[in-house]
Amino acid sequence: MPQLDSFLPVWIVMFPMVMTVVIFYVEQRSEKMRNALAVATSVVTFLSVLALYPGVMAGKIIEFELFQILPNLAISFRVDILSFSLALLSSFIWMLVAIYSIDYMCKEHGCNRYYPVLIITLASCMGIFMAGDLFTLFVFFELMSLISYVLVVHEETIEALRAGYKYLIMTIIGGLALFFGIIITFELGGSVSLSNPVPLISEPSNLAFFAFISFLIGFGMKAGMFPLHVWLPDAHPVAPSPASALLSGIMLKTGAYGLLRVIFHVYGIEFMQETGWTVILAVVAVITILLGSAVAITQENLKRRLAYSSVGQMGYILLGISILNERALMGNIFHIFSHAFMKSTLFLAAGAIILKTGKKNIKDLGGIGRQMPFTMFAFTLAALSMIGIPPFNGFLSKWTLSLGAMDAGVPFYVLILLISSLLNGLYYLPIIISAFFGEEHGEGHQHQSIKINEAPYKMLIPIAILAISCLLFGLLPSNLPFDLSRVAAEYLLRGGF
Amino acid sequence: MNLSQHLPALIVVVPLFFAFVMPLLARWRKQWCVPVTLGAIIFSFVAAVKMAFQVMNTGPFSYYMGDWPPPWGIELGIDYLAAFAALTITGVGLLIIWYGSKDLLHELKAEVIGWYYTLYLLLIASMVGIVITNDIFNMFVFLEICAIAACGIISIKESRDCIEAAFKYLVLSVLGSGAFLLAVAMLYMVTGHLNFTFMAEALPEAMALYPNNLLVALALLIVGLGVKAALFPLHVWLPDAHSSAPSPSSAVLSALVIKVYAVAMIRLLYLVFPRELLGMAPVMEIILWMSSLAIIIGSMFAIVQDDIKKMLAYSSIAQIGYVFLGVGLMSESALVGGILHIFNHALMKSMLFLAAGAFIYGTGVRKLSELKGIGHTMPIPAIAFCIGAFSMVGIPITSGFISKWYLALGSLDVGRPFFMGVILISSLLNGFYYLPIVVNAFFGEPEKAVAKPKPLPKQMLVPLTILSFGVIFFGVFPSLILGIVYRAAQLLLGL
Repeated sequence: MPQLDSFLPVWIVMFPMVMTVVIFYVEQRSEKMRNALAVATSVVTFLSVLALYPGVMAGKIIEFELFQILPNLAISFRVDILSFSLALLSSFIWMLVAIYSIDYMCKEHGCNRYYPVLIITLASCMGIFMAGDLFTLFVFFELMSLISYVLVVHEETIEALRAGYKYLIMTIIGGLALFFGIIITFELGGSVSLSNPVPLISEPSNLAFFAFISFLIGFGMKAGMFPLHVWLPDAHPVAPSPASALLSGIMLKTGAYGLLRVIFHVYGIEFMQETGWTVILAVVAVITILLGSAVAITQENLKRRLAYSSVGQMGYILLGISILNERALMGNIFHIFSHAFMKSTLFLAAGAIILKTGKKNIKDLGGIGRQMPFTMFAFTLAALSMIGIPPFNGFLSKWTLSLGAMDAGVPFYVLILLISSLLNGLYYLPIIISAFFGEEHGEGHQHQSIKINEAPYKMLIPIAILAISCLLFGLLPSNLPFDLSRVAAEYLLRGGF
Repeated sequence: MNLSQHLPALIVVVPLFFAFVMPLLARWRKQWCVPVTLGAIIFSFVAAVKMAFQVMNTGPFSYYMGDWPPPWGIELGIDYLAAFAALTITGVGLLIIWYGSKDLLHELKAEVIGWYYTLYLLLIASMVGIVITNDIFNMFVFLEICAIAACGIISIKESRDCIEAAFKYLVLSVLGSGAFLLAVAMLYMVTGHLNFTFMAEALPEAMALYPNNLLVALALLIVGLGVKAALFPLHVWLPDAHSSAPSPSSAVLSALVIKVYAVAMIRLLYLVFPRELLGMAPVMEIILWMSSLAIIIGSMFAIVQDDIKKMLAYSSIAQIGYVFLGVGLMSESALVGGILHIFNHALMKSMLFLAAGAFIYGTGVRKLSELKGIGHTMPIPAIAFCIGAFSMVGIPITSGFISKWYLALGSLDVGRPFFMGVILISSLLNGFYYLPIVVNAFFGEPEKAVAKPKPLPKQMLVPLTILSFGVIFFGVFPSLILGIVYRAAQLLLGL
């Protein structure tokens, strides 16, 4: 009899899916129940992922095949250390965002649409990370991408719909590129399973190269890679803030995750080192870093600036993937963690500001730190971490990445990281400075004493937890994300077995 | 007399018989028309299911009409492809006319409804006849019945558009039939046979003597069937005909009628003509390029349409291209994809046309730009439309994905990834025209007629639901239908 462990991945994916339907029925009766169920679902999902910890840390790989759609093409699940790390991170942040949403969304319309979508996106996200083959990954990837469209256009303004259309078209393009890549892999390797003991594609050929480029387009589109990032700065800011936090914090990472799987499982590290195709990835990653950071400076809208910053940060992750050595990989996986924490803090803080004051533009944010000290403090922590100041986790990931770059003998990448940190400073510090020391714009405000006007505690607690994590995971020399990244990096370099 | 032995004949004869009873019934007992029509088609459907099981269990079999053995009598050959196509035709045809039993009441004048059932039954009978016959002249007869009945169900609406479209269709269709008849005559001339099996045996010998005759016959066949199947660039009649007809007619025309000619062409090309003849002229190459053009250009035309049914009609031109792409690639996977797409597209397109028909029934609106917010007021057709759209784009877990998967795999098998690119580009184009409709339907405030639609009767909702369920079901469990498709492809390729 298979152990209970092997059913857990199915449970983790199916449970939120079933709950989506439950929530959909409950919400017609009671809003309170709906909110409670949404939070409960994300908590249970998080705990279920946590339950995988002992098995996975012991080096076990959990595999489970649900059913075959076509010969050699099945819906299957597989949890290894990398899947586990990302699933843990995602479900954790999802849980916090669900709690945050309760107060944030109460003033928004269409909550009855928002919560089921939130939960089913969680399910598909879990499905991506726990997929046992590229086909399952693709199915859940498409599901997540298409459903998060509803989150993007939630406001239903012209702006949102326009951004949503762009997002939708890019998603379709990305999906088709993935289809192309997967089918070539299937043709060349005879299978798309991730648990093949040898890489699926072993000989360089034109088709293999096409497949690589297709994967790069498909996953890179999601990860906001230059030049496919165009949808991201439009789509992320128009979504409601908790959704932006998830879009930027988690869903971008699915692209990076997919690329990791492709490079290490479909092609294998020797193949990549021999052919040097990752140079393409490195080049676009460098451009992505510089472009994202530079354009962020010019943005006036806070959430838009954060979105461009995400583009830049995803560049780090892509760069880390392209270097292909242990420390770079470790830095890259740890940066997935760091960026998730930092960016969701920032977006949630921005959401709190929007909820309380309605201010969306950076120039209006003068003096906001006196009005919302707590929120802005969390914002500051995360922003400093973004810049890469020790002892925050952002520093740790950049440090490890730089070490990886030095190991690979490419100090040029370190320079890029430094330049980008400088640019990050250029666009984050002014916000902080004017928030705490600046004057509030507008008339009639100068002489009023500023009252503290914080968001409700259900919003503050998630922000606080995330902000403290940014500090904690940088300060402690040995913490869970860092250990996970280390083990995962070793595991991937071993060939993923 | 053992009834089940005669199923291959009865599956055609029963609807044919009731087609002629229908005008009587319409005068005498009007309310019987619908149940009798449904009953006749259900009988054919059950017969098709039974035949499919028989074929799967004991292999292909043939039936001699009136016990006259070939080459003198007419032979019906039930092989995998025939059983599969008969199943598709009767199954989807049943759902469409079930839906039509309510929809027609508001689209047609009361006195012609009885005639509609006559034409519909004729159409179903002739389509089944085309796919199961093993005799080329018999096929021609059914082709003619099919063409006339198809024109009939377009022009029955008696609006100016419909008559014009039906006339255009009639002229081109007759042209096609003429070409087909000439081809039949030429084949008969050189082989002395009308039966497929005997023709196939006699052809290699005849090929040495009259190669040019055979090439001309082949060209005439492809043009004749191509016109009827609306293969680009012979598609000009389709958009008008399919968009102006009553919704059930559009559904049956787009989903089934054009596919039948594709099945006929598959059988003739693969079973009758020897490979060497196909090698003499780049026939398959021509079909490949025509279908690629159909796929791309059909999708492009669809993008600019504002009439929902016209858009669906152009989309059909692109989708029939997929079927022919599968035929032209000559690999097992591609042929499986092409044949499977006959079934998948029948499901999807009939569902989309029926959903469009439901919108028109409920609101009277057929402009895409005015359908804003329809998802709020008519959720079931809108969700069905949404599923159909995803399936058209080829999102996994819908049936459209499976046929694309096989077609793409087939194009890689023969080392021509270019055609995979064609499939992908067309999927993208499909996304361009289908997704905005879905988005508009669900994100937007309903206005005017859309805000307060007529409630849909159950007879229209249930077929729609079954079809949308089918699209998902055969996307998740394609193996149910793939078994027969695989064997059909293997038999055709002689594997």
